[in-house]
Amino acid sequence: MSATNGRSAAGELALHALDVRKRFGRLEVLKGVSLEVPRGETVCVIGPSGSGKSTFLRCINHLEKIDSGRIEVNGHLIGYRERKGGLAEDSERSIARQRAEIGLVFQRFNLFPHMTALGNVIEAPVRVRKTRREDAVKEAEELLARVGLADKRDVYPGKLSGGQQQRVAIARALAMKPSLLLFDEPTSALDPEMIGEVLQVMKELALEGMTMIVVTHEMSFAREAAVRMAMMDDGRIIEEGPPQHFFDAPEHERTKLFLSKIL
Amino acid sequence: MWVAAIHFDWHLFFQRIFHPDHAFARALWTTVYIAVAAQVIGVVLGLVAAFMRTSRFLPLRVLSGAYVLVFRGTPVIVQIFFVYFGANLFLGFNLFPRTVSLGPLTIPGAAFAGIVALGINEGAYMREIIRAGIDSIDRGQLEAARSLGMTSRLATRRIVLPQAARVIVPPLGNEFNSMLKTTSLLAFIGVYELFQDADIHYSTTFKPAEYFAAVACWYLLLTTGWSLIQAWIERRLSVSDRADRLSFWERVAEAWAPAQVWARGR
Repeated sequence: MSATNGRSAAGELALHALDVRKRFGRLEVLKGVSLEVPRGETVCVIGPSGSGKSTFLRCINHLEKIDSGRIEVNGHLIGYRERKGGLAEDSERSIARQRAEIGLVFQRFNLFPHMTALGNVIEAPVRVRKTRREDAVKEAEELLARVGLADKRDVYPGKLSGGQQQRVAIARALAMKPSLLLFDEPTSALDPEMIGEVLQVMKELALEGMTMIVVTHEMSFAREAAVRMAMMDDGRIIEEGPPQHFFDAPEHERTKLFLSKIL
Repeated sequence: MWVAAIHFDWHLFFQRIFHPDHAFARALWTTVYIAVAAQVIGVVLGLVAAFMRTSRFLPLRVLSGAYVLVFRGTPVIVQIFFVYFGANLFLGFNLFPRTVSLGPLTIPGAAFAGIVALGINEGAYMREIIRAGIDSIDRGQLEAARSLGMTSRLATRRIVLPQAARVIVPPLGNEFNSMLKTTSLLAFIGVYELFQDADIHYSTTFKPAEYFAAVACWYLLLTTGWSLIQAWIERRLSVSDRADRLSFWERVAEAWAPAQVWARGR
C-alpha cells in the first residue's frame, strides 16, 4: 500500500509493520504480517488463539525478536539498526529507550507485587525518565484518579481485584506518556463483572485520541472504539476494514466463520 | 552411666555459661565475626556466580558451574586446609601472615583464612539459593519492567531481586545458622573460637562433659538469637499484605523446630 510513497506516510504512521516474520524453532508463527496504524487510531486485532496476535504485539516493542521484515514506530525502526544493507540488533540501551515510548498492557496485569499502586505507576517515570519524585507522584495520582482508583494509591496489588489491577496497569503504562499503547487481551483474565470497568477506561483513551492496538475478543468494545479491525489467522492478517463493514459484511470465509463463533 | 552424672561439675558448667572469662568472650566474638564475614562473602560470591550462570559468555557459565560442583562436592574441612596450608604445600610460602589488619580490626591470619575458606564454600551454596529465588519470579515481571523501558540491569535491581529476596531469606537464614556452627571446624587450623576454647580447657582439666556441654549451650544461644533476628527480617520483607502473612511469633515458631510443635498445638 503506502510502502511505495514511503517517508511522508511513515511520518504520520504510529506503526508501520512490513512483512514481519517470526518463528519459534520449526513453528512459523508470523508469516509476513503488515499493518499500518495512523496516529490517533485504535485498531482491534482479532483471530483464533495461536494465530500470532500476541506474538505480533510483542514484536512491536521487541519483547520478541523478528526473523525478517521491519517494524517502525513513529518512523523509527524498532529493535534493529540498519547496517550495510542488512539489519543488526540494536543495543540494549537504545531498545529500552524505544520501549519507553510504547506502552504494553498484559493479559495477566504483571503489576509489581512489592510496590503499592502508586509505587507501580511512578517506578518507570522516576527510574527510567528520571522525573522528579514529587512530579511523578502528582502525575501518578492524576492517572489513578483517571482510572477511578484515587483511593487505592497505597494499596498493594495483592489486595486489589483483577479489574482494579488492570486499571493500575493501564495507569502505569500511561505514566510513561507512550505514543503507542498495546493491549494484549486485557480482559481475558478477568471475571465477567470486572470487564466493563476496564473497557470503559480503554474507550475513554480511544476517544481522547490515544493510538492503540488492542488484541481482544470484546466485540462491543471493537464496535464502539475501533477505527479499524484486523483479522489474523495462521500468522497472517487476512482481512482489514472499518468495524461496520467488518462485522456486517466480512469478505473472507475464515472471518465469517470466526465471527459467527464468537458473536 | 549415672556415675558419670554424679561427677558432672554443675558449678563449673554454670560458671562457663553465666560467668565466662575474658578468653571465652574473645572466642565468642571470634566465632561471631567469622560467621558474619564469611556469610557476607558467601552472599556476594553467590550473587556473582548466579549472574555468571546466566551470562552470554560461555566461559563464565562454565566457571560458575565448576565452582558449585567443586565446593559443594568436597568437605569443607578439606577446603579450609587447602586455603590455609595450600600455598605453603604447593608453592612453598605462607599466604596468610600471623595477623591481618582490616581497618580498625586486627585478626589472626588463621581466622582470616577461615573467613576466606568458609566464605568461598558458602558462595557455592548461596548461588543455588539465589538462583532458585530468581527463577521463582514470574517471567511477566521482567517483561513488564522491560516494556516500561527498563534495562535488564535496572529491572534486576528494582523488580527481580526485591521479590527474590523473600524467597531467598528463609534458606539464607538457615545457611547462617549452619555457618555459626561450622566455624567450629576452624579450631583445626588453630583459630581461637568457641570450640577451640572448650577444647583447650578440656585438655588441661580433663573435664570434657562440662566444657563441651557449656559450649553447646552457647552455640544454641547464638542460633536461637539468630532465629529471632531472622523472624524479624522475614516479617519486614513481607510488607505487601499477603494473605498468608505470619506474625512475628509464628515465624519464630516456624524457625525453631520444638516450638513449632507447640505452636501447632495451640
